[in-house]
Amino acid sequence: MAIFDARAAVMIPPRKVKFLIRRYNPEEGRSWWQEYEVETYRGMTVLDALLKIKEEIDHTLVLRYSCRMAVCGSCGMIINGTPRLACQTQVAEVASEARPVVKVEPMYNFKVIRDLVVDFTEFFEKHRRVKPYLIRRDVEERENPKYEYRLLPEEYESFYQYSLCIACGLCVSACPVFASDRRFLGPQALAQAYRFIIDPRDEGWAERLEIVDSEDGVFGCHLAASCSAVCPKEVDPGAAIQRLRSLLLRYRLGLWKKKISGPVGPLEKKAERKPLPPEAETLPGVSLEELEESEVEIPVDELIAG
Amino acid sequence: MAGRQGRSARLLDLRPGWKAFVNPWLLRIANNPERLAFIMHRVTGVIASLFLFLHIISTNVPAREGWEAWREEVMNLQGLTLTSILFYIAMGAILFHGLNGTRLILAEALALGIGRPEKPKPPYIAPLLRGFQRTLLYATFVLWIILWALLGYVMFFT
Repeated sequence: MAIFDARAAVMIPPRKVKFLIRRYNPEEGRSWWQEYEVETYRGMTVLDALLKIKEEIDHTLVLRYSCRMAVCGSCGMIINGTPRLACQTQVAEVASEARPVVKVEPMYNFKVIRDLVVDFTEFFEKHRRVKPYLIRRDVEERENPKYEYRLLPEEYESFYQYSLCIACGLCVSACPVFASDRRFLGPQALAQAYRFIIDPRDEGWAERLEIVDSEDGVFGCHLAASCSAVCPKEVDPGAAIQRLRSLLLRYRLGLWKKKISGPVGPLEKKAERKPLPPEAETLPGVSLEELEESEVEIPVDELIAG
Repeated sequence: MAGRQGRSARLLDLRPGWKAFVNPWLLRIANNPERLAFIMHRVTGVIASLFLFLHIISTNVPAREGWEAWREEVMNLQGLTLTSILFYIAMGAILFHGLNGTRLILAEALALGIGRPEKPKPPYIAPLLRGFQRTLLYATFVLWIILWALLGYVMFFT
């Protein structure tokens, strides 16, 4: 999804925007749409607008937020029918002069606690179920490590993207399979399972494969790709699930073997600094050797004056 | 509960079951024709199963009531416009389900056309949505419309 919309940051939102917020009161068991009118400014995000409502208009509005910069993943909401992070969504992006209305709802596929706050218990339960941590068999090595584990750059790149997940729940909220099957592990947990299964430092891949090998696991996915389309961190859970499924099928056919890396061990010989080659001169008349010996002076005063 | 009514009330607590089935229709997600394909795959799957069910019943007639009854039934049904329209819809559903199913098998079982992992960079469009499966998806839609139109021409105008 083109969540990173550079034009939106400089667009000017309509001066007054109507906010339609889906509210829920658990004590009365009542849910209703409430309308607020907010004066906007350039660069205002939906989260800013909601906080402005909370501070100036209605103190009873409840929402969850923390970092305000798309890092913590607390403020996932359905904004104008699309699951997004409120802090990452400009008001100018979702409201126009022709239709200055922003509809905000709690995330789908979650139990609502109050107003815009949803219950993440089930979500984290499923995340925990796939064992999202490195598992090592050698307890002695694990407890008293001497050297780091080997990880090649290409191996790192194969799972780096999936390790960016901030657990905001937007992918689960957008998943149409999760809507009709609550036992489904969900895109977030499955992407994390894949991330740890292909990590060469991990030895718990077999138990994780057993967990995801079911119709509620990896075979529940039907490639609607909405998870990848809404992810604010471009984690691409959809592709991770397809890779995991293909890997699982190959593993069952005996065609896939896990690569496991161990501790790097001591370096064979101590590295030495190589002397500069005689032709290593960047500019005519300037020798690098002289430069290395001389102290660097930065004419700060001149730069400021000039 | 009090105060909950209408279509929007369903959004609040989507319970497991048939009510939650409406969820795919309620979201609007940019750059995601796969979701449309997912919905159509489900709908065409239901139509195809219904067709298969009726087909088995109608081909079972000779065993139960003899060939004469079957011939009579077929002769009665053949002439009706409604029958051919329903047949046409069923054929279209099976066609789409088959074409899209091929794409899904390639992507799901063999992990083909889903891009490769990368370091995220602007404009942050996931590799899955830029992969070859997206091309296959558009090809599925185009091929389906062409083949279905061709079938309609053959069925109704020749």
